[in-house]
Amino acid sequence: MNNTEIEYDDKLGTKRVRVRRMTFTMRLIHWVNVVAMVVAIATGLYIADPYYQSFIADDAVDKYVMAWNRWGHLIVAIIFDVTAIIVSYLFFFSRFEKHYLKILPTKKNIIEFGEVTLNLLTLNRRKKFDSSHSDSFNSVYFIIFHILLAWMLFTGLQMYVHALASGDSSIGAWWPWMLHLVTDWTIPFSSWLVGTTATGGNIMDVRIVHHMSMWIIIVWVVFHIYYQIWRTIFWQEGDIAIVVGGSKFMKIDKDGNKNIE
Amino acid sequence: MGDRIEGVKKLFTSKSARVETNMGDAHYDKLFESCQARIQELKTQTPRENRLDIDDLLQDQGIDRRSFMKWASAVTGMLMLPASFTPLVADAALLMNRAPVIWIELSDCAGNTEAMLRSDGPKIDEILLDIISLEFNETIMAAAGHQAEAQLEDAMHTFKDKYLLFVEGAVPMGMNGQYGTIGAHGETFYNHLMRISKHAAAVVAVGSCATFGGVPAASPNPTGAVGVMDVLKGKPLINIPACPANPANMVGVIIHYILTGQVPELDSLLRPKFAFGYRIHDNCERRAHFDAGEFVEEWGDTGAKNNFCLYKVGCKGPMTFNNCSIVRYNEGVNWPVGVGRGCIGCSEPDFWDKYAYERPMADANIKAPTGGVEKTVDEFGLGLLTAASIGIGIHAVASVIAGKTENKEY
Repeated sequence: MNNTEIEYDDKLGTKRVRVRRMTFTMRLIHWVNVVAMVVAIATGLYIADPYYQSFIADDAVDKYVMAWNRWGHLIVAIIFDVTAIIVSYLFFFSRFEKHYLKILPTKKNIIEFGEVTLNLLTLNRRKKFDSSHSDSFNSVYFIIFHILLAWMLFTGLQMYVHALASGDSSIGAWWPWMLHLVTDWTIPFSSWLVGTTATGGNIMDVRIVHHMSMWIIIVWVVFHIYYQIWRTIFWQEGDIAIVVGGSKFMKIDKDGNKNIE
Repeated sequence: MGDRIEGVKKLFTSKSARVETNMGDAHYDKLFESCQARIQELKTQTPRENRLDIDDLLQDQGIDRRSFMKWASAVTGMLMLPASFTPLVADAALLMNRAPVIWIELSDCAGNTEAMLRSDGPKIDEILLDIISLEFNETIMAAAGHQAEAQLEDAMHTFKDKYLLFVEGAVPMGMNGQYGTIGAHGETFYNHLMRISKHAAAVVAVGSCATFGGVPAASPNPTGAVGVMDVLKGKPLINIPACPANPANMVGVIIHYILTGQVPELDSLLRPKFAFGYRIHDNCERRAHFDAGEFVEEWGDTGAKNNFCLYKVGCKGPMTFNNCSIVRYNEGVNWPVGVGRGCIGCSEPDFWDKYAYERPMADANIKAPTGGVEKTVDEFGLGLLTAASIGIGIHAVASVIAGKTENKEY
């Protein structure tokens, strides 16, 4: 795996080496996810509680406001499904980067996770890890997002499949059958999470946790954006460019060693 | 904690809500023969104390044979049987007085009994519930006190292992069940239920209280009320929730039992799939307004006058499984959404806490996942977001003031 490409000299005598961090596919998935999430949140909030009114004088057939919102919400959900499958494949089988090696609870990973956390808490006064590659803090944070996303997909598909009550769909009976098989467990699990005084679960509980999880994901996004900008400013390694151009810089001192304290 | 563990156990054993509407010709041919044989056998039996004759009753109410057969074909459709079963269903309806029924009341308002008694002009469903061999029902029986108890003992003895037990009302389990007692002996509702269900052929829990605890079990549930399915094990049990349960569904279950000798296909909450396999929302007459985004914003506005969708005033049709948007109440006269108020999800567990708050879930004061303090989901989420933002803000300011940037020279 040789991700370093161009080298050039620096005024101070140190070298900055370009490190490839994200392939085109990874960047594409990232931005597709960004767009899908903005659409999912905007439409999802409308579905949960329609926050704008359509003009009453229009014919119903012209408006179709809730239906378009639901359509948009379900389409981005299906896009999320597909990217989630690709991401989970790349997670294990990518030739570019083996993410899963970074979340294994090995001594090395735990120390690195701690060091990255300390770097954040000490406001970059302590930086004792190799910031050129994806660190284990990054990988764990990435995993948290994908678990949340998978949870949204399972609960969302559970609510969706009840619209296919006839047991059939435009692509065949296998689809609702499979969705029931794969997502029915979310009903008792959601009831367990929400808590109940009655017997048995219901899809209201699934709805409640689906809505609640949206807020957790928004919190995740807010920290994610903040942290990427913070890294760019304080590390001065061009981290924000990773998701656009696919690479960042690594500093190498006069002797050719990586710039680690 | 115990029910939470039960919930986890149910994780991977939960039955699919899918409704099989067509089981194939071979299945129906076989079923037809077995049902025919069963009807023939029932016809040879003498009816139990046949006080009322169905033909006379129907005639008295001005319902002719043609109307009755139309009703029979509608019930056949409701039970998801092919049209060829219509004569068998009609026969089964006429034989309903062969089914001895004991009807008991626990923690409830007798609303299910009331719904049948007070219907506007008895329709065929209600007339049929008149002619079942109702051996015991506190609300409508003339006997009281020791006389009533003697009647119950007599019915239990005479029809041992043959009677259907209808239960209306939740079972209070708090304080050793002392929140609800019945009769001169002060028997608790729990013991009452256990004693009578012991020799029942099958138990039918009617209404939301008997099925899932309903209103008595609503938070904070002071009496520790639970549904029948929580305490009754090892008996065939059918749940017919809703508040009140639709008489059409009660008749459907009884006819299905008479016709086939079996309980109908049930979902994971033991509700018959023929009645609870579909969402109200998907057969709602106001569905087009939902898709159009045309909502009643407040009671009595222009939208309300134009029969717009009631989602924004809290209709829970999209999350409620019931057939009332199809069969309605009082034999098709009307139903809640039809009269302009939203569905409160009365046939779902926990409906009082999680459905019946007359506004969308995202705008409702329901318990946060942590339990305890009442908070809306949105407020909780926004609070979480605010906490994260404050944390980030502090970190950002601290970074600017005291952070160490890598060699700023270049």
